[in-house]
Amino acid sequence: METLAKLQILSGAARYDASCASSGCRREGNPYSTGNTSQSGICHSWSDDGRCISLLKILLSNDCIYDCAYCVNRTSNPVERASFEAREVVELTMEFYRRNYIEGLFLSSAVMKSPDQTMERMVSVVEMLRTEERFGGYIHLKIIPGSSPELVRRAGFYADRISVNIELPSQESLKRLAPQKEKHSILEPMTLIGRQIGENLVERRSSRKAPKFAPAGQSTQMIVGASPESDFQILRLSQGLYRKMNLKRVYYSAFVPVNQDNRLPVLAAPPLLREHRLYQADWLLRFYGFTAEEILSDDMPNLDESFDPKTAWALRHPEFYPVEINRADYATLLRVPGIGVTSARRIIAARRFSVITPEGLKKIGVVMKRAKYFITCSGRPFEKQGRSALLLRNRFLLGDGSGAQFGESPKQLVLPGLFI
Amino acid sequence: MNRYLYDGTAEGLLSAVARILSEEADPDQVTLAERENTFFEEGIYLATDTAAAEEFFSRLQQQAAEAVYTFYYFTMTEREGMETSMLRYLALAMQHGNKVNGYLTHTAVKEIVTVSRKAGRELHRMKGLLRFEKLRDGAYLAKMEPDNNIIHPLALHFSKRLRAEDWFIYDVRRRTAARWHRGTLSLGAIEQFTAPQMSEEEQAVQELWKTFFGTIAIPERRNPRLQKSNMPMKYWKYLTEKQGK
Repeated sequence: METLAKLQILSGAARYDASCASSGCRREGNPYSTGNTSQSGICHSWSDDGRCISLLKILLSNDCIYDCAYCVNRTSNPVERASFEAREVVELTMEFYRRNYIEGLFLSSAVMKSPDQTMERMVSVVEMLRTEERFGGYIHLKIIPGSSPELVRRAGFYADRISVNIELPSQESLKRLAPQKEKHSILEPMTLIGRQIGENLVERRSSRKAPKFAPAGQSTQMIVGASPESDFQILRLSQGLYRKMNLKRVYYSAFVPVNQDNRLPVLAAPPLLREHRLYQADWLLRFYGFTAEEILSDDMPNLDESFDPKTAWALRHPEFYPVEINRADYATLLRVPGIGVTSARRIIAARRFSVITPEGLKKIGVVMKRAKYFITCSGRPFEKQGRSALLLRNRFLLGDGSGAQFGESPKQLVLPGLFI
Repeated sequence: MNRYLYDGTAEGLLSAVARILSEEADPDQVTLAERENTFFEEGIYLATDTAAAEEFFSRLQQQAAEAVYTFYYFTMTEREGMETSMLRYLALAMQHGNKVNGYLTHTAVKEIVTVSRKAGRELHRMKGLLRFEKLRDGAYLAKMEPDNNIIHPLALHFSKRLRAEDWFIYDVRRRTAARWHRGTLSLGAIEQFTAPQMSEEEQAVQELWKTFFGTIAIPERRNPRLQKSNMPMKYWKYLTEKQGK
């Protein structure tokens, strides 16, 4: 089969993986090699679904022995099968990289004969790239659940980021939808990677020449909407992963029904709004000092579709407000809807020069449309304070309370105004 | 209230600012603009003094390295009519040092920082969106038409990344080019540009990339609006994946 035909099959099969980041580590180039990496990562294009393309995202093979209900590559699906030769992947990566199409390679694979046999082949591709071509660009390598610790270690020394996909957020769902995968075969390599990264950091502190192990850290992905877990369960799992395994990112991938299977829910469209709300909540966990238990509870296990999770929290906690812009600390500012990480930092920085006026707040970039209900500026409120939560809810649902009418579903009215 | 003029160069701007800040009792009361050489133009012309500009620049570097970056990006925007704001900004930078960019509630700081950030953002964007094509002689060529004059820092980025290759970056609108040849970077103007011959495999590689670009999108999630907001159409002209569509 021609490389072009393989590329079509094996990029089409890889597109359901949400991860695309090329950030998190910085490597200088050297005179004899091609490529370096940048701390912030670089997006090279945006595909027709609006998602960024940073890496050549492909499977080494889609010829799978597993039969996971949600997966397009499952063995019982009558799709065309293809596998790349190692050399083909290396050539593609180098040709694309030299033309600045990509920041590097994202390599995953279906399980061909066994996890170890597949992982071995994937590692050898990356090895060839790094040693023969002296490729210095970004490499994200998937770890096949069940791979041996030795292969995981080798993978980590060649790749910038390695990741094991959890895919289904509970053991029951795993049993039901991916019967050949087991919880421990996923969590064991994750734990190993987490430990190895930690040990490597210590080593590198004492010796600058120590080789780097997965310098851009580890990530994972969960499919949202293929199984019955609540947002609360998912968020608590993410929180645990961030805290205990030191993950850099958890990706959420709205379930796209690609198979007919009576174990799967019937969806009219991928649950994109739910995915979006989960990402917002994930940001609250990582950058805003929230805990999963503050965002959701057993009584309220799913995220509100009409409001972003921070606004929802604010509406439930009127006692927290108003926040005084000229005095509140960073953590408190972050809890104001309409003030994000950037605005909060800027407020703190600008306060060193002078008192912040309402005019100044706008210059700083605070989204006043939402913030005005929750703040005072030198003691002066913007809006009548102490409005009932119900009244505020309605105001937000209507955009600005400027007399707009409720449409068929409040969702559509809310979306444009409430996203940052 | 004095009105000062300078010759329109970055060096001239720095030397004018240096003089105003050292000689004016109240620099906040004066304005600065580019000389247009019209008969009725009023103002005091400050001739460019290279030594004064250099001296001021090195002092700025010591006092407020952040402001040097901001100034550098500002010059890339080729924005006119903001000299007075720059004067106020640099005065504040000398006074407050590196923290000056945090003084966003100040009108001049806000204006300068906002404009500079635009150039910085386009530079970052172009690091991703620039597309090289392989020429018959084995060198690579990329064309672009950015809003800001970012060719120099952009070429520096690629000189670290594609060190083993020879390449050109050509700014079509400004007719300037950067050339990386055997490990040395040079910049210059291009009088006349003739399209060189592509290498034989170029077409095939472009087809591979276009194929990848097409299949990597999830059809159920199609979202052209999001695509355009992330990657404005003004950049599509030289994007390999957007040719022949």
